[in-house]
Amino acid sequence: MNETESIREQAESIVSLLEGAQLVVVTGKGGVGKTTLAALIARTLAARRKALLLEVDPRENAHRILGMPPSGGQSIQVSPKLWLQNLRPQHVLDRHVRHKVKVDLLARKIIDHPVYQHFSEGAPGLKELAILEHARRQINRGWSHSQVDVVVLDAPATGHGLSLLRAPELVASTLTGGPFASLGHELHEFVTNRRKTAAVVVSSAEEMPIEESIELLGALKELRISPSFCVVNGVYPPWNPFFQNALPVEVAELWSRRWVLEQRGVERLTREWRGPLFEIPLVDEVDDDRLLNRLAKEVRRLR
Amino acid sequence: MIGSGGVGKTTLAAALGLRSATAGDDTLVMTFDPSLRLKDALGVGGEAKGEEVVVPFQGSGHLAASLLDAKMTFDRLIRDYAPDEASAQRILGNPYYDGLAGGLAGILEYMAVERLWEVVSAGHYRRVILDTPPTRQALDFLKAPERIVGFLDSGALSLALKSWFDGEGHLKALPTWGGMGRRVEAWLDKQVGMDLLRDMSEFFRAFGPLFEGFRERAETVRQLLRSPETVFYQVASADHKRIPDVLYFARQLEEEGLRSGPVIVNRIHPQTDSFPEIPGSEVFHWLGERDREGLRQLRSLLPGLAVIGLPMWQKELTSLERLDELGGLLEHRMGGESPGSLDSGE
Repeated sequence: MNETESIREQAESIVSLLEGAQLVVVTGKGGVGKTTLAALIARTLAARRKALLLEVDPRENAHRILGMPPSGGQSIQVSPKLWLQNLRPQHVLDRHVRHKVKVDLLARKIIDHPVYQHFSEGAPGLKELAILEHARRQINRGWSHSQVDVVVLDAPATGHGLSLLRAPELVASTLTGGPFASLGHELHEFVTNRRKTAAVVVSSAEEMPIEESIELLGALKELRISPSFCVVNGVYPPWNPFFQNALPVEVAELWSRRWVLEQRGVERLTREWRGPLFEIPLVDEVDDDRLLNRLAKEVRRLR
Repeated sequence: MIGSGGVGKTTLAAALGLRSATAGDDTLVMTFDPSLRLKDALGVGGEAKGEEVVVPFQGSGHLAASLLDAKMTFDRLIRDYAPDEASAQRILGNPYYDGLAGGLAGILEYMAVERLWEVVSAGHYRRVILDTPPTRQALDFLKAPERIVGFLDSGALSLALKSWFDGEGHLKALPTWGGMGRRVEAWLDKQVGMDLLRDMSEFFRAFGPLFEGFRERAETVRQLLRSPETVFYQVASADHKRIPDVLYFARQLEEEGLRSGPVIVNRIHPQTDSFPEIPGSEVFHWLGERDREGLRQLRSLLPGLAVIGLPMWQKELTSLERLDELGGLLEHRMGGESPGSLDSGE
């Protein structure tokens, strides 16, 4: 196997762990490069099957990494097998209502009704449920050409995407009956089924993000969700004491200390998480266009 | 202190708090999720949840730190403001309250606002440094009170819910909504089932007497946030990818008529060359260049604001002494500009 092939292997090994998944949920604390990772995963998956990158955020961001204009809430095509869509949380439930209530006039009345508005704001889990249902509806279940084979969901950073994954069970237990409750049951089965939904945990190597990732892993375990892999992103280059004399003092000090801290962080994670683990180094790339290509080459499997 | 997650907001809040207390002002630092190290340095452990813990250090002013627990704060507020024990229990025991207190979007920010009101009214501190929750929507905590108060209120909602259920707890038809109204009601019934609607109805009815107080307090905080006594510091990283966010928050502050202090661009890497014989040095070279360029861009894009750069700290910020060094540098670079104080008429 020559070098190019082994480089390609690294990024592909990420994807092989996601083989067969219909929904990939990318979770993690804000600021660790979650959206970039989600884009990388979607793009790599799209080499083989049709993929949709779904971003849930009132402010669009994912489009930049893919070199596209904002999606504006629609599904836009990025490449032959890759689509991108941004969902605004408050509108997802409205879309769901419009989808369910076939009579347009009634749907509008419901959406405009203050009781509905306050209810949808206050009833726990409904918005998240609508997001998951929207994602699931995009997956090709045989009846529409416009559907995709896999949806990569860039989970909201708040709550680390946990509230999203917990929502179905929450709704199923809070509501005593009706279509939302049964949807809750269905989606709970969907997200906890490893053959259908894959979870990915992204972290940086710093202390706080590592601790939070460990907490997140614990919470996912309680939900009976076992992540397919974890990624430590933005790792500093390895420090070698021989560099000491060749570098300015402050750089040498910073580099050596950060290296020690990050190694500690990664070690901590490898003790708490026994599954597949990847590391992506900091990459000196300004251009968004080239960034994903570089990242794909630099992915390193630690376990 | 506002800004996206992971930029060092909480650490800087603590550093500024320390400097403020050292200068002689009794100061409280209110945090959300301090790192383990910072918790150690400040002594903000389990006991600090919802309460102020005095930070032991040498200085002429007092320094205290607190950590917010939204659910605990909400529970306490219900107990404090309910007309009697029975009403408090009706709310606290309501199954919908449980889900609401935990899950309602903005509840964390709203409780932060309530705590802020409590602290300011008690008047023990000359200065309060509020670290905001790490959301991508840095100004959420500003909008949260209005949104939540609006949610709790809504004449239509309380009116509607009041008469949804008759004496026996059965849902009754509402003639005021007419035929269409009945269909909406029927649709909601079918969608969510009766228990939740009943719980919600009960909750809002029980909450009714407390509502006015919540609304008044939220209004007081709203005024406080817009007063000259309050300054917003934005903490940011120099990463070019995050620049749109920084601009967006700065614009939001301006649009809301809020007083902007400096933008602190934190964790700036030192500049260095790239050495071919040192693998990885090209990354450091790039980081130094990126951060320098980011700082330059932010300065040119925010001409009306002081944009201050802080270096990536060499030593781990695990002690008060080190936090103080950081605070000292920040103060120096702000040109001795002191943060807003809670003095009235000075």
